[in-house]
Amino acid sequence: MSTQPAWSAAFTSEELARVERIGPLEQITRDWAWAGSTGAGVKVAVIDSGIDAEHPAVGGRVEYVSVGEEIGEIVFDVEPHGDEFGHGTACAGIIRGLAPDCSLYSIKVLGPRLRGRGAVFTASLRWAIDNGMDVCNLSLGTTKREFFASLHELVDEAYFRNVVLVAAANNMPMPSYPSLYSSLISVASHSNDSPEIYFYNPHPPVEFGALGIDVRVPWQNGGWITATGNSFAAPHITGLVARLLGKHPGLTVVHIKAILRALADNMVDPVGDTRQ
Amino acid sequence: MTVDTSAGDEFAARLREALTKAATASTIAAPATHRTLLQMIAETAAGVISARAGALFLVDEETQELRFEVALGERAEALRGVRLPLGHGIAGGVALSGQPMAVSDVQADERWAAEIGERVGYIPESILCVPLFYEDAVIGVLELLDKEGAPSFGEEDILTLSLFANQAAVAIEQSRVQQSAGALVASVLRSLVEGEAGLDADENVQEDVRRLGASIEEDELFRRSLKLADLVQEIGRAGERELDACEAILESFAAYLRARSSTL
Repeated sequence: MSTQPAWSAAFTSEELARVERIGPLEQITRDWAWAGSTGAGVKVAVIDSGIDAEHPAVGGRVEYVSVGEEIGEIVFDVEPHGDEFGHGTACAGIIRGLAPDCSLYSIKVLGPRLRGRGAVFTASLRWAIDNGMDVCNLSLGTTKREFFASLHELVDEAYFRNVVLVAAANNMPMPSYPSLYSSLISVASHSNDSPEIYFYNPHPPVEFGALGIDVRVPWQNGGWITATGNSFAAPHITGLVARLLGKHPGLTVVHIKAILRALADNMVDPVGDTRQ
Repeated sequence: MTVDTSAGDEFAARLREALTKAATASTIAAPATHRTLLQMIAETAAGVISARAGALFLVDEETQELRFEVALGERAEALRGVRLPLGHGIAGGVALSGQPMAVSDVQADERWAAEIGERVGYIPESILCVPLFYEDAVIGVLELLDKEGAPSFGEEDILTLSLFANQAAVAIEQSRVQQSAGALVASVLRSLVEGEAGLDADENVQEDVRRLGASIEEDELFRRSLKLADLVQEIGRAGERELDACEAILESFAAYLRARSSTL
């Protein structure tokens, strides 16, 4: 029998936490949010196919963990690895483009095998939470319903521990996890050719749209390609979140979503607004 | 009583015959049908999206590779049978990530250009690649090359091809299941005949099997058993419990029929 935590204890006069105001959302500007920030000190995990740190767009400074499954056991390998296919390097390049000094962690889950992927994926999220990542880019997902519950639990835990999860919405006409969970930031594509333009969608589950169409991205073997896909939209939001956290550490996921919404390029004043 | 039993025996004999026919028919027809189906899927996709060429890969679970099943385009033959490790190149990446992707300057992807482009003697400018999902798993990848009248594939194309791929994957998996069941029965049949008459009979057996297959299209009983098999397969797709219920219903109906004929 475990003892139930005394949730209300946090609200007694002795324990009550003092929480700093972030100011009215209407007055928040991009200058306040991330101008001058390079994402320094922010740990950003790219859960993907690995990162080619040698690629000029990434520019080194990458920590590694490779998650795999051997004979039913999850194994972690922290030896440096590459990227056999380019997808993770593309995401890392986009993030570094926006937040050049963030600490990049390559969590490699897309190996040369399809089997065991769901288990490896949940293990990678577990690792990210336990190792204090601030932001995780998830340009991948699983359609396996059996992982719905375990992923949901992890996504909730990430939320409570202030780990921001940014997921690419899957274009496939089927539910894909975890991009449909409400506590994470789900991203689809727009084609405005600017990495810092993004939009808010008041009709979830996909709440944000970022550059994901005809994006010039680093690829394998030091190459570059022009690619389209939500996989490349998500890292743009990841990069902006890294900069935001670099300047304002300690923001919660709720803050971050609200700030991103307030600063989206499609926000307008209410009709009939007389403030000016 | 005698009449009933013989009628039952006759039905049993006809059912056995029908099942054998169905199995043989799928052995003969399925590999061709399966290939035709894959070809049709790739061609339809290329037609709908206005692509100049295309390819369909299926995942080989054993070797964890992608295998070219269909290649469309002028020098497509050169690609048939080629295998790619998963996670290799754009198609492999799409299979692994499960995320559709379009690329608009393929020459820049050196590896793709070197290994595939050289074989077909043609380096595409743009690629659109979507995963083929069946139930929860990626069973393959559908890839289109070079959009007619446009420099690259757009977001609309990704969505259209994704929807199409979803339907195609179901058809492919159904056809594959039928094919492998048929192939299994055929090998059992063949080994039986070989056991009796030696290896020399093989050609004759093949000829018999071929003749059976040709006549089978018109056989009403075959059609009905195929329809039954389709229904059971459809119920099976709904889930394990639904299949259990279906089996229980069929079993109790058969038990009822057996009990009735023995008490008469």
